[in-house]
Amino acid sequence: MEIKQTAIAGTLESSDVQITLSQGTGIQIDLDSSVASLYGDDIKKVVTDTLASYDVTDVNVKVVDKGALDCVIKARMMAAIQRALGTVDEPNWEVL
Amino acid sequence: MEIKELNIHIPRNFRKWKQFVELNHIQNFAPSEVDQIEKTFIWVEGDDVAATGSIAGNVLKYIAVCGKYSDGGAMFNQVVSHLITQAAMLGRYHLFVFTKPQYSQSFQYVGFKELALSNDGAILETGPGGIDDYLATIPVADDGEQVAAIVMNANPFTKGHQYLVETASRENDHVYVFVLQDDSSIFTYQERFDLVKQGTAQFKNVTVVSSGEYMISAATFPAYFLKDDQDQGHYQAVLDVSLFKRNIVPALHIKKRYVGTEPFSKTTDSYNQAMHEVLPPEVAVVTVPRLELGGEVISATKVRQAIVTQDVAYLDQVLPATTRTFVKAHLAELGKRIEQKGWK
Repeated sequence: MEIKQTAIAGTLESSDVQITLSQGTGIQIDLDSSVASLYGDDIKKVVTDTLASYDVTDVNVKVVDKGALDCVIKARMMAAIQRALGTVDEPNWEVL
Repeated sequence: MEIKELNIHIPRNFRKWKQFVELNHIQNFAPSEVDQIEKTFIWVEGDDVAATGSIAGNVLKYIAVCGKYSDGGAMFNQVVSHLITQAAMLGRYHLFVFTKPQYSQSFQYVGFKELALSNDGAILETGPGGIDDYLATIPVADDGEQVAAIVMNANPFTKGHQYLVETASRENDHVYVFVLQDDSSIFTYQERFDLVKQGTAQFKNVTVVSSGEYMISAATFPAYFLKDDQDQGHYQAVLDVSLFKRNIVPALHIKKRYVGTEPFSKTTDSYNQAMHEVLPPEVAVVTVPRLELGGEVISATKVRQAIVTQDVAYLDQVLPATTRTFVKAHLAELGKRIEQKGWK
């Protein structure tokens, strides 16, 4: 599934992450994190897993990480995906 | 800490805001910079202002954080974050920032990409639809060929522009003509682009492409569109040309940039100087004397004057057939636009 519109979620404050989703082909992740060398793969896994749970297959993901925990990354991803799909009013309970 | 939106176009607010920003070493409050500001936010702690930041179009401006509250950059991140979120609510995701060279790194820490750096400033962007996406839309000539570039507003495309393109076309294997995408001229972007395309169709090695937001745009070179600010103009011109050299030149294997002599506009003349300062030796700047007609150079400015006075004889002389047909068919409407918008 593709997304309908560009969407953003999260902040650039410490322990948070800012995620921007835009239209693309396949899943492209652009990760910006001071801990990318240690946790880059883990962060990307949370991103791809959350996308998979919404069946999103084509999207560009920009991740600016400020040391967010996995649960924060997942929450920000979910908010961004729902905004990008235009389904903010219909939470996907199975994913939650 | 409380975030407030402040209307700086109210004089009382403006004075207070300006005082704070000045304390943080930003000195330029020219109307051309301030007038475009749409939203300004301030962070307040009691009676103290801790930080501020503004949005103008897709450019973040006047970001300042008081040293007392900077907290190792945390406050700065909060300001940029808030501005990005606010811009997103306006549907703007692709954002630019101009800043002093020493702050470029701070913006890179929050996901911005540096596009150009000079002694006086840096320009960065963030968000989807960045420069890589722009470059991906342009067909690349084979490396090793002699590739040249021309950047023009072509408002509208005259025989003078045609002569410049023809000269470049004859002297090179391939020529890119970049048409300015900013829609603040009398002729719309689409009209200017179409007329350049039609007027250069006979030159088979010429590709006409959009400048995107990366050449002389409201983001990279606002002074071009606000002709009052020459000092700013030169500093922005150097950054604009640096951006071209660092990003466009290597991607498209450009070896030369062609430019017409500029006898009239100070802004354009200062831009041409910036090209000579920044581009060589990697990219040669080739200056072609303007095409003259009866001892007078052809200029798009004069064409726009002739549209108002309906001087069809002059238009016939200086416009190629393609532009002539369009202008004649829209003479009244173009005259009206000039009346409304001025001479731009």
